[in-house]
Amino acid sequence: MATVRPLDPRLLREAKAARGYVILTAALGLVTAGLVVAQALLLAHVLAPLITGAAKLADVTGKLLALGIIFTVRAAVVGLQERFAHRAATRTITQLRAALLKHATALGPRWLAAGRASQIATLATRGLEALEPYFVRYLPQLLLAATVTPLTLVIVWWQDWTSGLTILITLPLVPIFMILVGKLTESASKRKIESMSRLGSQVLDLIAGLPTLKALGRERGPGARVRQLGESHRRATMGTLRIAFLSGMVLELLTTLSVALVAVGIGMRLVYGWMDLVVGLAVLILAPEVFFPIRQVGTQFHASSDGVAAAEEVFAVLETPLPDEPTAKKTAAGSFSADSDLAPAPDLAPAPDLATAPITVDEISIRAGERGHLAPAHLSFTLYPGEVLALRGANGGGKTTASLAVLNLLRPHAGEIHVNGTPLQKIDPAGWWRQIAWVPQRAMLLPGTLYENVTLGLEGGIDADELGTAARTTGFSKVLAELPHGWDTRIGHGGVGLSLGQRQRLALTRALIRPAPLVILDEPTAHLDAGSEQVVLDAISALKASGRSVLLIAHRAQLLDLADEVVTVHAAAPDDAGNLAAAAIGGARAAADSGANDEA
Amino acid sequence: MMRLKQWRSDPLVRAIGLLQVRLSRVVLAIFAGVGAIGSAIALAAVSAWLIARASQMPPVLHLTVAVVAVRTFGITRGVLRYSERLASHDVALRGMAHLREQLYLRLAQSRSDRVVQLRRGDVLQRVGADVDAVGDVVVRAIIPVGVAAVLGLGSAGLMFYFLPAAGLSLLACLILAAVLGPVLTLRAVRRAEIGGAQARGDIAAHTLTSLQAAAELRVTGGEQQLANALAREEAALTSAQDAAARPAGWSEFVLQAAMGLAVVCAVIFGGLALAAGNLEPVELAVIALTPLAAFEPIQALPEAAQQWYRSRSAAQRIMTLISDEELAPESGGGVQSGARRRPQSALIAAHDLTIGWDRAHPATKDLSFEVDAGQAVAVVGPSGAGKTALLLTLSGMLPPLAGTVRVAGTDPLTWADGLQRQEMIALNLEDAHIFHTTVLENLRVARGDATAAEARAALANVGLGPWLESLPAGLDTMLGPDATDVSGGERRRLLIARALLSRARVLLIDEPAEHLDSDTADDLVRDLLALAHRADSEGPGRAVILVTHRHAPLDAADRVIEIRAAQPVAAS
Repeated sequence: MATVRPLDPRLLREAKAARGYVILTAALGLVTAGLVVAQALLLAHVLAPLITGAAKLADVTGKLLALGIIFTVRAAVVGLQERFAHRAATRTITQLRAALLKHATALGPRWLAAGRASQIATLATRGLEALEPYFVRYLPQLLLAATVTPLTLVIVWWQDWTSGLTILITLPLVPIFMILVGKLTESASKRKIESMSRLGSQVLDLIAGLPTLKALGRERGPGARVRQLGESHRRATMGTLRIAFLSGMVLELLTTLSVALVAVGIGMRLVYGWMDLVVGLAVLILAPEVFFPIRQVGTQFHASSDGVAAAEEVFAVLETPLPDEPTAKKTAAGSFSADSDLAPAPDLAPAPDLATAPITVDEISIRAGERGHLAPAHLSFTLYPGEVLALRGANGGGKTTASLAVLNLLRPHAGEIHVNGTPLQKIDPAGWWRQIAWVPQRAMLLPGTLYENVTLGLEGGIDADELGTAARTTGFSKVLAELPHGWDTRIGHGGVGLSLGQRQRLALTRALIRPAPLVILDEPTAHLDAGSEQVVLDAISALKASGRSVLLIAHRAQLLDLADEVVTVHAAAPDDAGNLAAAAIGGARAAADSGANDEA
Repeated sequence: MMRLKQWRSDPLVRAIGLLQVRLSRVVLAIFAGVGAIGSAIALAAVSAWLIARASQMPPVLHLTVAVVAVRTFGITRGVLRYSERLASHDVALRGMAHLREQLYLRLAQSRSDRVVQLRRGDVLQRVGADVDAVGDVVVRAIIPVGVAAVLGLGSAGLMFYFLPAAGLSLLACLILAAVLGPVLTLRAVRRAEIGGAQARGDIAAHTLTSLQAAAELRVTGGEQQLANALAREEAALTSAQDAAARPAGWSEFVLQAAMGLAVVCAVIFGGLALAAGNLEPVELAVIALTPLAAFEPIQALPEAAQQWYRSRSAAQRIMTLISDEELAPESGGGVQSGARRRPQSALIAAHDLTIGWDRAHPATKDLSFEVDAGQAVAVVGPSGAGKTALLLTLSGMLPPLAGTVRVAGTDPLTWADGLQRQEMIALNLEDAHIFHTTVLENLRVARGDATAAEARAALANVGLGPWLESLPAGLDTMLGPDATDVSGGERRRLLIARALLSRARVLLIDEPAEHLDSDTADDLVRDLLALAHRADSEGPGRAVILVTHRHAPLDAADRVIEIRAAQPVAAS
């Protein structure tokens, strides 16, 4: 936390929107500084002659009018800052989110696996949104502290150097003492925060488990436990706060005391006639203004630190180098928002026609997890056009991983995949993917109509009869029959509104109508009960009848019976597969594909 | 009257009532806050007096009191602000702990079917962040409003003492800022909420989709479609925030402008009074400079309004959790004795049952069967036919839509307390909770007096023996808050081991075989069905009712009940 930089240069580099905003806010800060000084001097010049009796109200009306105008302009500046600050925040968040999403997808399916996808999604949404208070509250005050504070201090010094000196001595004490208090209490507060969050999560845990306790008839006892935990949680939290609020107290104490000392000093010099009342009043009015931005920075610091921490996490992801694609490496070092030069390498061969070309998987091994065991290990098979080939094997054996390798989303650590003799990684991936229909275990559904979802990625239209036949084969027509809007029914995020089985049927329909010579089905019966299993069998038979090749991952015997060939996939302990770096190559190319869009 | 009633039924007001904060503590916190910001105002007033008076060059002794006062206020501000923050947070934390306890107790007493239907994420959100938000209303809204009210009246009163016109004009400006500032801020918050909440949710969902389905999007296509949708939603969010920023900007303008107006008015009225001889020259400095500090407490009010709005929506969610629900029957002596009576008929008897979550769409209809102690019954049927709902209905966690359930001759819906359920039925749901505690304590959830040896045996029974051996501290290993360090299959089996420890006479088990590979799954289902036949010292064994997708191990069941969606059932 202590290492959070007040204004991260990377933030300005990555988010172009932030730059203009910082310049504008700094300019507004300079204007504010001028207004603060003018306001103090005018007020002093209005009041002093009235108090000494040197003038009447009528003599100062001009100055009073000017004072009124300055108050209004200052209010307008503050209002404008508030009015437009959020725009910069929103734009910066949008730009960082886009950069994060692009880089994270480019890092490939392996990197995104194991819950990382949802972690990154949280970071890209809720995490980055915490940047808003940073831009709207903290940054303006920081820039005011960099403009108003020194400028007003110079004026104070010019008016009365003794007061200026008092303030100048106090100013550096503020951060020094705050850091000192922070350091002294760091370990104590860390311990306390830990016990605080532990107690907090225990209470939540008990309440979250209430349905379970009720199902077993044991809900009565823990009531007292919830009370005890709540009480301990309060005590632990208060312990943390007692320390956490100390630095705030130091801030208030130093700044207010400094203003008080300045006031007393002015009073003493006035009483001996060493000073003019105009100067005295001007300095008295200016003294709190010197400290005001600093106090605000102190109070807004915590509100903004979440956002800054999120931004740092984003930069950590952005700085993760892309897998060993030469062009990708170059991008990782440069600016993330301008990687449109990442065109497909010119030496890529056009994809062979899969209706005629066999795919040969030759002794491939892929390292899994940190322990580095191989799943799959030394897998070989050849998938001939029009054939149904099934992969079977125990959980964790690497069946899905093998299918990702065939899809050219993962590069094997050892061994190679050839198509008609051409190595897969030398083949243009866009042309390769166009020839494949892929149904993963949890098929993706986008918000929109069912029609949009079933025709996703199809170039050109689809014949209504063909669609109807496919839907009847997969049983999705029965689902449609119950929907009043049929294909025009809208579904929510992640297919909300459809059951798992219905989603599976929709995904199968999508695969059937895609004019792709190769279909990859990953455990197509996983979410279906026995009755619905027939649907999958029918779908595979239909695919076979139309002469397409099918790569099938399956457990159940009925499915395996359909296959022309069954290959068992094994995992193995790490061998001398060498120290090849993990390679997820599809990602870099996706970045290239979408790079052009970002230029618009 | 109407207003008062509306006020009382406001969810936030009701939630604040549940915090049961002691008024004396709130008053104490307000006092400290008044002292803190009051010090700043007093510092401005006294130092203005000091400087103006000093310029008249009186003997230094005449200034001593003012000098001491200025220095004192310089110190008290920081110290009292510290005390105020501690006092207000203490009040809020006490309230939050109390509210959480109330939530737990009320949920524990409410009808089981309601509790079972609660989604875990919802409960966590409401009991966690939402209760925090209700507590924050004390710290960020109630106490600042109290402080602003006291100090606003106080500083206007002080000015009134010197010059009534100056006091009244300051009061008017303070009220202007105190009303317009929060009103404009509330408008901003509402505008941001109306367009923003939906857009935020959509952005979050799309972001997650684009990451989770990154590979599939690349192969199948649709990246552009998703990017366009995301851009649309971001534009919607931006325009909502833009609409909100307008009143927010005005709110800031009003606060600053009102202060300027107060200063200018004070100078004009003071100058006139000076000419008329109604005001001492020194006092002019006080009435002209005090307003510069007097607006500080008012500046906290827009944030207070924002907090009130936020806390109110949190309170609404909390209140739907515990309000207008029927409590479980409190006592039922006759029923209890009935439950302990030896059953004359079957242990479980279902007669003409119609079950489901929703009366308009019953899952299944006209289901009748009986299960005796020592019998194992498997329930099969397609997804969505109501298999889980059947288990919930049999255990009294979900009222039947029609028909009756009798367990040992009594209606499980009328079971008064947990003890009775504990003795009769152990319901093992697929999504049951793994508590953030040790393995042993997690197993003891089913039966508090289970010994370590019994726990070990239960784990071995479900094939978790090797897993237990691999754990660093054996039975005393802590499990994660969401049991994240337990795989899907292990989690499932752990829950079944928990059920095995129960002494209940009826075991209801939902889908034990998910996440397991074929052979293990079939073996587990067989073992569980066999539990019914294992007669122990206490009697003829238990009744086991087990829901499964797997057909292979059904030979181990005495009977198979096949249910179909909303159709009469054939029991074979």
